[in-house]
Amino acid sequence: MFFHIQLERNMQLHPRHFGPHLRDKLVAKLMKDVEGTCSGRHGFVVAITGVDDIGKGLIREGTGFVTFPVKYQCVVFRPFKGEILEAVVTMVNKMGFFAEAGPVQIFVSNHLIPDDMEFQSGDVPNYTTSDGSVKIQKECEVRLKIIGTRVDATEIFCIGTIKDDFLGVTSDPGAAA
Amino acid sequence: MSLAAESPVHSSSSSDDFAAFLDAELDVASSDTSPDEDQDDEENDDDEEDFQEPSAKRQKVEDLEPTKELEGSNVNTSSEPMDEDICPPHPGFIKGMCMRCGQIEEDESGVAFGYIHKDLRLNSKEIDRLRGVDLKNLLEAKKLILILDLDHTVLNSARLVEISAEEEYLRHQALSMQADADRSIFELPGMHLLTKLRPFVRTFLEEATKMFEIYIYTMADRAYALEIAKILDPDKVYFDNRIISNADCTKRHQKGLDVVLGAESLVLIMDDTEIVWQRHKENLILMERYHFFASSRRQFGFSTKSLSETKKDESESDGILSIVLNVLKRAHQMFFDAFLEKKLSAKDITELSSRDVRKVLKLIRQEILQGCKIVFSRVFPSSARAEDQPIWKLAQQLGAICSTEVDASVTHVVSTDKTTEKARWALQNGKFLVNVHWIEAANFLWSRQREEDFQITSSPKNPPD
Repeated sequence: MFFHIQLERNMQLHPRHFGPHLRDKLVAKLMKDVEGTCSGRHGFVVAITGVDDIGKGLIREGTGFVTFPVKYQCVVFRPFKGEILEAVVTMVNKMGFFAEAGPVQIFVSNHLIPDDMEFQSGDVPNYTTSDGSVKIQKECEVRLKIIGTRVDATEIFCIGTIKDDFLGVTSDPGAAA
Repeated sequence: MSLAAESPVHSSSSSDDFAAFLDAELDVASSDTSPDEDQDDEENDDDEEDFQEPSAKRQKVEDLEPTKELEGSNVNTSSEPMDEDICPPHPGFIKGMCMRCGQIEEDESGVAFGYIHKDLRLNSKEIDRLRGVDLKNLLEAKKLILILDLDHTVLNSARLVEISAEEEYLRHQALSMQADADRSIFELPGMHLLTKLRPFVRTFLEEATKMFEIYIYTMADRAYALEIAKILDPDKVYFDNRIISNADCTKRHQKGLDVVLGAESLVLIMDDTEIVWQRHKENLILMERYHFFASSRRQFGFSTKSLSETKKDESESDGILSIVLNVLKRAHQMFFDAFLEKKLSAKDITELSSRDVRKVLKLIRQEILQGCKIVFSRVFPSSARAEDQPIWKLAQQLGAICSTEVDASVTHVVSTDKTTEKARWALQNGKFLVNVHWIEAANFLWSRQREEDFQITSSPKNPPD
């Protein structure tokens, strides 16, 4: 799920940036440092939408660096248990398949793939229904439900299922080709 | 009112009047406040309802789920008594999360399958289940499993610093032929290695992949294995993610099939080192080591010129890989036998799943020296039990009959010395007199070798101890 929230961060800035463009430099550095990172509490920071407040700088003794407390608005993405997501399949093997929804990696084990879908090895490993009408392979889009999440300092990993109503392949580039 | 009940205690020292007054006052007060309280209650009720509504919904959902599970379990118990769909026991973990129910468990049980995903662990029941499914799928596709070692089996690598002046031309070759897709010499960027593929390996893989699901299994590290896989399989059609490296082994210095998600009865192994496969010797096709570079030969104690220095190479058409490919083809043919041509029914699959490729391999091996009766002379000390000698066992595996005494039925005398009694007997009676390499060569080349090529050249000056 996406959230628009305010976060705060202490930014250290080199004294060479002190000048008319100090604010721009600070914002640019903030984007570089924060966008794409992940925190266990808030999830992935997708984009910074605005800077609300830059506090008074504090000069670090000895180095000349200055620390600014910055409050900023950002969009974060955090998957939850029970959430329905659309994801792109990245790898298929006999254990199940891996998929990605943006920065989140999701594993769907073959226990959680409908029983009528069977693994087919070969050049393009895939899961296919017995009549061949539905096929899960690399690059497919699937709709899945998150049933477990594990949040680490730098990444979020999820376990998903497609063994439920209205879940499964939503678009298959392989079938179109 | 609770006070009324307590009042006797208090009133023990005070007058009954006061108690009565108090009671009256309290009653009034309560009746006064009662509407307010009711309102409060109502508000509270509203709040509670607000709270309860979603929770009731949640309850409903939760109610639904257990019943679903129950139904599922009922179905299971009726059809098969296995508790297949219920956690725990968890079938396996990925990043510490159960892959079926998503629960986080901190215990580090199960076998790690780092080559599939770095944080994947499976318990033994799940491995068995996956192997069972895999067995069925493979048989349906009429395939077996081939496990391929890298170094000295399908290629030879040398570190750049160990390349001698005589081999320097190979580096130029590696550079100048970069555009050629069929070249066999590669300089691995960032690894300081020069790698030479064994002749025939490309054809070998192309042919073998039709009959086998191929795994790479090497004692080298993962980065190297992946780099080699890129060379051997640029289009990623042979190996997929089936690349097992030293980090995945469960025992030090041993290769095991426990990390292979395939039934052992379908596995053939090609490796140049027998000792690492202690537990799976029956699956093993021992390969003659491929030494292309001088440094590699020196490592194994050979002092003669290497292939690279003499600018020669193994034969493309009848080198070891081509010989072994034929063995694989035969094993595959014998395993599937009559089923190869027809479409398999469920019954055929059950029939096939009881077959064992190890037995097939044993049969093929036994044909090599079929009809030979061998007597050993001065190959191993006479005090040792002959049946325990590796060379004795090897000859028997190859289908030869071994004996300790000469008689008319003996066909070959294997000796290290022309002058022993048995060797002289062989010469007198017109039997073949060969050295030990005759047996070893037959083992590597999968056929009985010409005895003339394995004459005992010189008698050792010092009698062997």
